[in-house]
Amino acid sequence: MIEVRNISKSFGEEQILKNISLTFERGKTNLIIGQSGSGKTVLLKSIVGIHEIDEGEIIFGGQVYSSMDRKEKQKIRQEIGMVFQGGALFDSYTVYENVIFPLRMFSGMSKKEMNKRVDFCLDRVNLQNVNDFYPSEISGGMQKRVAIARAIVLNPKYLFFDEPNSGLDPKTAIVIDNLIKEITVDFNTVTVINTHDMNSVAETGDNIAFIYNGQAWWTGNNKDILESENKELNEFVFATKLMRSIKK
Amino acid sequence: MEFFYHIGKYLVFLRKVFKRPQKRNIFIQNIFFEIEKLGINSVVIVFIISIFMGAVITLQTAYNIEVSFVPLYLVGLGTRDSMFLEFSSTIVALILAGKVGANIASEIGTMKIREQIEALDMMGVNSESYLVLPKIIASVFTFPLLTLFSMFVGIFGGYLAVYFTNAIPLDDFVYGIHYYFIPFYITYSLIKMAIFAFIIATVPAYQAYFIRGGALEVGKANTKAVVYSSILILFFNVIITQILLS
Ligand SMILES: Nc1ncnc2c1ncn2[C@@H]1O[C@H](COP(=O)(O)OP(=O)(O)O)[C@@H](O)[C@H]1O
Ligand SMILES: [Mg+2]
Repeated sequence: MIEVRNISKSFGEEQILKNISLTFERGKTNLIIGQSGSGKTVLLKSIVGIHEIDEGEIIFGGQVYSSMDRKEKQKIRQEIGMVFQGGALFDSYTVYENVIFPLRMFSGMSKKEMNKRVDFCLDRVNLQNVNDFYPSEISGGMQKRVAIARAIVLNPKYLFFDEPNSGLDPKTAIVIDNLIKEITVDFNTVTVINTHDMNSVAETGDNIAFIYNGQAWWTGNNKDILESENKELNEFVFATKLMRSIKK
Repeated sequence: MEFFYHIGKYLVFLRKVFKRPQKRNIFIQNIFFEIEKLGINSVVIVFIISIFMGAVITLQTAYNIEVSFVPLYLVGLGTRDSMFLEFSSTIVALILAGKVGANIASEIGTMKIREQIEALDMMGVNSESYLVLPKIIASVFTFPLLTLFSMFVGIFGGYLAVYFTNAIPLDDFVYGIHYYFIPFYITYSLIKMAIFAFIIATVPAYQAYFIRGGALEVGKANTKAVVYSSILILFFNVIITQILLS
């Protein structure tokens, strides 16, 4: 479980996150939704410790992560897998080199064990015969899958995804959504996903937090969300014609 | 004020860069990779500018000696000392600031805006050290070798120029090259280049490390990287010369 308690974050004068409290459960897909620019990425990066928070606490599995020193944090970080919005694969490394990288840096495994693990992870995201390609030589959907393979290679307890569907066609987006759902159950991770894609919300939202005006404006699941009376949430959820037709 | 702010931030950055590498074999592998990218890939450009500059310095000196009582071997000596003292270190460093500096700034800048540096940090890699230290070691090690190479090629360029134009007798040129040779000039040039190499590896990396935004920002960091490292090279050229030659 991850608990976020009353966190705030400003950049200069501008307060992006205002007193946000949320709980993310293990084995579930926890969604953070909200408009572009609402602070989803800042929230995600604050939780994992890329941004330092101004106030509040972040608790990973009962340990107060936000007040740990560098060394202690490092330990938790090795249990976190993160998939950045663009994938953040290393351009100068091949697919294979990208996925094996965390193992080479941190695992202490033998070459053979590492290769086995890489094969397992690439297989898990349904990628075959792409080992020697560079990120620029494969499709956006494949890049996302490589990024997921890299994120799970050290067997993480926590998984974070920043807009895993952005830039993908609807069909590929569903493939990625399903993959994330399966991995969450398989690996029994606490999975936190940023998205503004209502399709993923309907498909994968075990727990949903709607961020509005820097606050956790509404929380619930993918059934509640269609029935909620919350005005701002409704404006977000039913922004498209398609969603409005579902409501009727 | 901003100047001092940047000095401070640069020093803090360097302290992180000089953190002990986490995985020795990966570190060594990265150094070889950078030696190839930054050093070996610069050999051709250093060759081209050095051979032409050696030729031009020789011809200009030769054609400017019109009064007969100036000994002709001064042409060779002039070419040698221009190359050894200034050209093969300072001018080559300025060229490398443009080529290698821009390369480092765009590589690191692109990694930054595409969240690859955050990805490294998240995995627990000390990204500053991982990315920049191999570049520093590769540059400080290979750029002085490029200086030696440039000296040799420059004199060869002068030799070819004399050979093909007969501007002065070839023997006089060769005599001038040997005349009153001061080995310390080479040491002086190599020391300068090692310091310039450090500037070329770290200043562009620093410029690129803190950008936010998109491709436009990478471009800006690129320009700043080249301008600032060039100014610093010229500035340190004066300082080191005063220290070593006075
Ligand atoms: N490192 C930063 N420094 C200053 N402002 C930032 C930084 N990162 C994000 N912001 C600002 O925070 C706001 C929220 O951004 P973001 O979290 O990326 O939104 P979202 O992911 O919901 O689209 C934006 O106004 C953005 O400009
Ligand atoms: Mg975002």
